[in-house]
Amino acid sequence: MRYLIKNGTIIDPANRVATIGDILVANGKVERLYDLADLHSEREPLGSDVEVINARGCVVAPGFTDLHTHLRQPGEEHKETIASASAAAAVGGFTTLCARPTTRPTPDNAAAIRQLRELADRYGSVRIDLIGALTLGNEGRALSEMRELAEAGCIAFSDGGRTIADAALMRNAMAYAAALGLPVMVSCQDPHLAAGGVAHEGAVSIRLGLPGIPAAAEEAIVARDIALAEATGAHLHISRVSTAGSVALIRAARARGVRVTAEVTPHHLTLTDRWLLGWLEERNEIETGRPGAHPDLSLPSWLNPALLPPYDSSTRVEPPLRNIEHVEALIEGLRDGVIDAIAVDHAPHALVDRDCEYGIAPPGISGLETALALALTLVHRGELDIVNLIAKLTEGPAQVLNRSPANLRPGATADIVIFDPERSWVVDTDQFVSRGRNTPLRGQRLKGQVMLTMAAGKIVFRRDDFGRQAQAAPQPSRLEGILETE
Amino acid sequence: MSNEKQILSADEIRRALVRIAHEIDERNGGLRDVVIVGIRSRGVPLAERIAAAIADFDGTRVPVGQLDITLYRDDLKLRGPAARVRKTDLPIDITGKTVVLVDDVLFTGRTVRAALDAIADLGRPARIQLAVLIDRGHRELPIRADFVGKNVPTSLSERVMVRLRETDGVDEVVIQRGASNE
Amino acid sequence: MSELRRHAIDLDDFSAAEIEEILETAESMREVLGREIKQVPVLRGKTVVNMFFEESTRTRISFELAARALSANVVAFTARGSSVEKGESLVDTVRTLQALGADIIVMRHSQSGAPYLVARHFRGSLINAGDGRHAHPTQALLDLYTMRSRLGQIRDLNVVIVGDVLHSRVVRSNLWGLTRLGARVTLCGPPTLIGPAAFWTATWPTIRIVHELDPLLPEADVVMALRLQKERMQSGLLPALREYTRVYGLTAERLARLPKHAIVMHPGPMNEGIEIFPEVATASPAAIEEQVTNGVAVRMALLYRMAG
Repeated sequence: MRYLIKNGTIIDPANRVATIGDILVANGKVERLYDLADLHSEREPLGSDVEVINARGCVVAPGFTDLHTHLRQPGEEHKETIASASAAAAVGGFTTLCARPTTRPTPDNAAAIRQLRELADRYGSVRIDLIGALTLGNEGRALSEMRELAEAGCIAFSDGGRTIADAALMRNAMAYAAALGLPVMVSCQDPHLAAGGVAHEGAVSIRLGLPGIPAAAEEAIVARDIALAEATGAHLHISRVSTAGSVALIRAARARGVRVTAEVTPHHLTLTDRWLLGWLEERNEIETGRPGAHPDLSLPSWLNPALLPPYDSSTRVEPPLRNIEHVEALIEGLRDGVIDAIAVDHAPHALVDRDCEYGIAPPGISGLETALALALTLVHRGELDIVNLIAKLTEGPAQVLNRSPANLRPGATADIVIFDPERSWVVDTDQFVSRGRNTPLRGQRLKGQVMLTMAAGKIVFRRDDFGRQAQAAPQPSRLEGILETE
Repeated sequence: MSNEKQILSADEIRRALVRIAHEIDERNGGLRDVVIVGIRSRGVPLAERIAAAIADFDGTRVPVGQLDITLYRDDLKLRGPAARVRKTDLPIDITGKTVVLVDDVLFTGRTVRAALDAIADLGRPARIQLAVLIDRGHRELPIRADFVGKNVPTSLSERVMVRLRETDGVDEVVIQRGASNE
Repeated sequence: MSELRRHAIDLDDFSAAEIEEILETAESMREVLGREIKQVPVLRGKTVVNMFFEESTRTRISFELAARALSANVVAFTARGSSVEKGESLVDTVRTLQALGADIIVMRHSQSGAPYLVARHFRGSLINAGDGRHAHPTQALLDLYTMRSRLGQIRDLNVVIVGDVLHSRVVRSNLWGLTRLGARVTLCGPPTLIGPAAFWTATWPTIRIVHELDPLLPEADVVMALRLQKERMQSGLLPALREYTRVYGLTAERLARLPKHAIVMHPGPMNEGIEIFPEVATASPAAIEEQVTNGVAVRMALLYRMAG
């Protein structure tokens, strides 16, 4: 089957392409890209086996790569399976998932990795790459068999959300990874500084009486790991950066040539700890007579934390949602290139595990299906241009993984996402294909939705018969205006 | 309000209370063990005026108390407005005494029922009597007044309003049409 | 007359007028408690469940007496020996109590915010009897009642709260109540037991945060000492109890430096010899026993507002 994706706004950051045009897909590859210049030229007639997909008004981009997915299978299939996670990825426009080694048994040996590889090949409908455990059982006590893991096909090493407290062990891990040429992906949080904490330490944690996690808990470990990376020459990748101090440390390290990359989640870029207040926030505003909603947070009007009850367990994430100063620094870091990638940290949980007291709720958001729309809020409020946003979901992750980026050049694997950046929708968790319904965004109106996802030339997701009828095409996008100013 | 009709003037109220004061004296063969207890809110000034009337003709100062029956009412609903609870204040132990309860209007009898429950929790009087300024009928409980200022036949759609200087700035009793009591 | 209240989770949604009304009702309830028959029938036929996941004999008994004085059926549910130990979730427990016909749940829980979760799954009324570090609204109400009955009014009172502010639910609820009624509040304690001042003033802009107690004493109308958990020392928040006592303990010498009319309060239970000394706790400025007595009347008043 061949497809002709017609009249889309093609954005391919890796090739510096941003144009209105058509893409011909055949045999799982991009066969041809017709841009504006080709529009009026002669084309060879298309065969009857070509399905035309009308993408007018939509963005056509390389499929997204998520550096940070928790698959849950094997071990916690009630939360998610490889099949449901890859279906959720397709809905969200992701064609590659990097699975963190948080499944059970821990993939800290070659046999476990091979078992995982087999499951992923059998049940996955998008590309799934595997990250091996850095230490046995992610326990931070003894190194895993890193060389064997690399030989079994791991693309990186990580201990999931855990920080290795022992700096000497961390140094050894980095030295090993450096020799193997693979990145070490770390989540940075000092276990003593963060002990018992469930919320960002600040005005909100004090107001709600929740044990706090100071920004310094993250920054102390970021600084330590940068020093160790500098000493060992390892490629350090800092997962889910959440503080202004971390951004500054990474910026400085990069400036002196340390091999450090970083990712940030869509929720840390857009939500603050005020979401923990839920409707208490509104109550305070009435009381103090402060004008308008969230004057300190230039949220687009359609994001409203007051839809949640106070202490809603869906707002519990690691690292915790921070305040506006940190959020602004993260956006700045994304804009100036200090942060390479947006990673979802897709962490599905079953409802039964989440309908509980805040302090005992497992952290995480089921984020694959809302990641794009949430990140697009930055574009809609003019804080990030759309080409840069797509780069952070395609080119950026590829650079972290030291591979050539997904792109739309002829000959490239046809991993393609088509999304309508203006389409407004309400998050209904009952409609999620992920088994994890845990998200603070339930009931929120978001703007931007994936219409079609193609993985290796196969359509893995298509919304409402998208692109089949020319007359059903969406309105021309205001992105055309954005592109002209490029 | 144009649909209001006065049924007792200030002077008529005064005379009714003086008459009730004499009747209490006669009925009980003296005032030695009498305690006058007003039911909040308008029963309280009425009780004080009756006690003052007694002091005028007899020189006896009978003890006067006030009773709040909010916590004893049987018509409180879940999730309605909460009636404000006020203080109950009895100057002496009422056990063995003759308690004369005083209220402004006797209607269904439910207020008096609540007052009887409250009194029973506060002591064991020898007897309890009831004095009201207006008896408008429509009883829902087997309760009658011992002393009545004026019997006023009413329909259920009418409303009897007792206004007193202490609470309303003026002494009068009026009847309003088209609006029943509560 | 004012609208009945559905839940009482914190004082943050109580207006000054509503607090005043509850304090006035509590005055009437004190009169009921002074009678020979300390019972009125307002809550007859209603079932109040005391759901305590954290032991607190004082608060539980106070609520029990309050509910009984209003003629409610009172059932105690304690986590120990119940299905909670078998792993039943909080939500399941609440659904069960609901099915059994509970009208009002009084809950104590170690996790901040747990009452909001319960309120979402319970059709009746909920009173928070203390959740984690978050709130303890009835303690704050009885503190306000005690201050008002001793000092006449709350407005413009200088209230000093000293001790482990950071971990205290009593402080947070008192801050809502006191600031709303116009008191001037100063929080005092070692920096490790308060945290940065800006974190507090973001929510309660009028309060003051200091680390020295002695300069505050001559101006104070109320000094409230908080219980110091001995675990705080083990977790490294304090160098030594002895030092804490020397700087922040309510000693007889410090008592002598208070104005004559000032009162001393403590939410209990007291660590005598640490945050307060026995001779202070029983001296005439101390209102600590009164706080306990007033607790029953205030809880009756709140129960009445919710179900009367």
